[in-house]
Amino acid sequence: MIETLAGGQPAEHRELAKRVRSHSFVDGPTRKLVRSWIEREPAHPIPWTPLTKPLSACRVALVSSAGIARHDQPPFDQERERRDPWWSDQSWRPIPLSTTEADAGIYHLHIDPRFGEQDLDCVLPLRRLQELSADGVVGGAAATHYSFMGYILQPRQLLASTAPAIAARMAEEAVDVAVLVPV
Amino acid sequence: MIPEFTASVGAPRVAGIEFPFGRPLGLPGDRAGQRAVLHTALEVITRAQTPGTVIQLPFTWPQSPRDARADPPIPPPIVQLIKRRPWLAVRLLARDIPEPVSPARPDDGQQP
Repeated sequence: MIETLAGGQPAEHRELAKRVRSHSFVDGPTRKLVRSWIEREPAHPIPWTPLTKPLSACRVALVSSAGIARHDQPPFDQERERRDPWWSDQSWRPIPLSTTEADAGIYHLHIDPRFGEQDLDCVLPLRRLQELSADGVVGGAAATHYSFMGYILQPRQLLASTAPAIAARMAEEAVDVAVLVPV
Repeated sequence: MIPEFTASVGAPRVAGIEFPFGRPLGLPGDRAGQRAVLHTALEVITRAQTPGTVIQLPFTWPQSPRDARADPPIPPPIVQLIKRRPWLAVRLLARDIPEPVSPARPDDGQQP
């Protein structure tokens, strides 16, 4: 563990923002942007649900921000983002456990999609989760996993409807652990 | 990816990894590497005992930042806009986001 942060006080945010400088894979403009946003982020209460059973007994669901949509689902709306670059599609897609790169596309305009299109486990590790489940590391993989598109400047809809809808679906499927996978 | 950013918005448990964008689990086809990353990330839920804990995962990307660089095929719309109108960068940095200019679609929610 490198640190424990609680309370989200502004001073801590300033300290967090400084550390973004150290990331070698983040380019200069992105560092500047992220630092600025961290410094402006208000303090949040941090939600906490204690783990009440071993990981080997937990059902796990994955959530990817890669903007993954199956070919039998509507794609994320790239056209509207091209017309209004401040806007973003904040909807979500349920991704069944059996989904592979043959079944889905990646609709995030801010990343190179080729890695996930070549191997979906690069961004949504469904096969790796099934392996860990088969080996007993986790209790099981949920039937449904999830994706939304992670370029969201004003996350109003994400917070008001998308995240609650995903959480409700997870609760229906008795998910114990949700793993968010940023891209 | 940028664990400080994730921590700043109040995530309860954060697994940090210094990997390039677009492939947070590892390279295509690297099953063992992807599995190790997922396994170690999952263990964060048992290791973290305090809200807001950030644990850095002990993995090193096998390429230099220059070799790992992979931009989207076309610059993102917001990048193109800022290039055309550089003064808008101030709004982006301040997260002063204009309201949408086109109407929302009627099916703008879940689209399974």
